[in-house]
Amino acid sequence: MTTDNPPTSPGSVDDWFESRLHWRALMDALLHVRVPLEAKTFFFGGMTLFLFGVQVVTGTLLALYYKPTPEAAYDSVLFITSDVSFGWLIRSVHHWSANLMILFLVFHLLRVFFQAAYKYPRELTWVVGIGLLGLTMMFGFTGYLLPWDQRAYWATVVGTEIAGGIPFIGDALLVLLRGGADVTEATLSRFFGIHVLVLPLALGAVVAIHLVFVHQQGLANPTKPDPRPPAVPQGRTKPFFPHYILEEVIAWLFLLAMLVVLSSLFPAGLEEEANPLETPAHVKPEWYFLGVYELLKHIPWKVVGILTPMVFIVLLAVLPFIDRNPEVRPRKRPLAIALGILTIAVLIGLTIWGYYS
Amino acid sequence: MSQQPTADPGTSGFSRRRLLAALAGFSIISTLTMIVAPILGFLIPPKTSGAAAGGKVLVGTVADIPPGQGKVVPVGSSPTIIVNTDQGLNAFSAICPHLGCIVTWDPGSNVILCPCHDGRFNPTTGAVLSGPPPSGLPAEEVTVEDDQIFVVSS
Ligand code: HEM
Ligand code: FES
Repeated sequence: MTTDNPPTSPGSVDDWFESRLHWRALMDALLHVRVPLEAKTFFFGGMTLFLFGVQVVTGTLLALYYKPTPEAAYDSVLFITSDVSFGWLIRSVHHWSANLMILFLVFHLLRVFFQAAYKYPRELTWVVGIGLLGLTMMFGFTGYLLPWDQRAYWATVVGTEIAGGIPFIGDALLVLLRGGADVTEATLSRFFGIHVLVLPLALGAVVAIHLVFVHQQGLANPTKPDPRPPAVPQGRTKPFFPHYILEEVIAWLFLLAMLVVLSSLFPAGLEEEANPLETPAHVKPEWYFLGVYELLKHIPWKVVGILTPMVFIVLLAVLPFIDRNPEVRPRKRPLAIALGILTIAVLIGLTIWGYYS
Repeated sequence: MSQQPTADPGTSGFSRRRLLAALAGFSIISTLTMIVAPILGFLIPPKTSGAAAGGKVLVGTVADIPPGQGKVVPVGSSPTIIVNTDQGLNAFSAICPHLGCIVTWDPGSNVILCPCHDGRFNPTTGAVLSGPPPSGLPAEEVTVEDDQIFVVSS
């Protein structure tokens, strides 16, 4: 690969690495790419990535004190919050970062949707993205049980029961998730293992695939469709490094500040310890499951209530193959935009209804 | 590029290439099976002999559940709700048939209530009064000897 390398003085650090690793070619390929001037990502994807990084760091710290058994879990979480130095902060940042991660993930998805960045040639990037959405929600669901308080316990009973309602595979899935017929220590061990080992590795790998795809395709230009067959995009561009990255880092610093403020003002709480004999009044799931919760309350056929969200996710995943309109400007795709806005309105409506019911 | 001989052994009926492909396919599939089978087996929890203490289980005394009241008690590993109505003592499984929450007695409205999605049940029959549960609460047999309440678990 020939590129216009900046001249470097012999004996520089850059030279030292270059002569051993050919690292200029690597850096050129990874960093010295250009993005269309019109591309507006609002940095949502990168912010989601940053929050995942925060989760890995704070989660690893929490795991040093957390004990995944029904007898000890609740007390170990109390111990982290009240005895360990900065324990409340680490736990609250983990809590808030999880919530913000879902939020910015949704913003990212909406940005990609409204800019039509899921269209040719980025269909697979979108499909992989839906995989990331699923993995992130599984993070939320498995992590929720770990404090072993009443909210945690009953959200898990209902959540796993929902999985158990899926036709044909439900019964097996329920036992597989719970590690038995009921939510017990077997469930806690499973959820712990999935939450701290399986999901981080899986999400890390799938994010890597996602980013390789984005890198290969370059950022979408929301003002015009990609040329077919592929050609070097025309139009004005700016360097990814340092211009784009610098703005991205500013967004990350903003997030960091937000995390500290939220954690200080609204630290993560803990309810009474789990009691398998008593469901507390008004148990509700996390806000991002409230829509499904409200749906299950009103659809009289259990199976329909359970399958509706799943069918929705599958439809979302294959969206690039349903929506064959090549246009990217909102005015030229009124149906997609209208359906998108309608879907958002329904989801927000259900969520608010679930919150106040 | 040199011309290939017309009688290419790779394209005739039972060739070395097809044999090798079949063997390779067999190795790949058997290797995958060898890896996946124990993982799947490991994930399926072993059957624990359910500690269902068949027979009569003492769950409390009549004084615990005055008329117009109800209470959830453990019977083995299955929670049971005992309600004291005009028709006397009734017992039902306390596990909501909707999504598995534990029902409670609602003294205000005199019904059995599920706090999760507001399912309501008739306290004498266990039938659904309102809400999403697909079926009523299964009845359990309850007996009183002296002032002690027993649930006869199956
Ligand atoms: C853990 C979750 C995710 C992470 C960390 C992530 C990360 C990223 C990053 C860093 C980019 C570069 C552009 C940007 O910052 O916006 C990107 C682009 C993209 N993402 Fe994601 N993403 C995630 C989930 C999703 C989801 C749920 C979808 C949609 C279903 C999606 C679809 C896309 C598409 C189509 C692009 C290319 C957009 C363009 O070229 O303008 N991603 N992602
Ligand atoms: S779990 Fe009882 S009404 Fe849903």
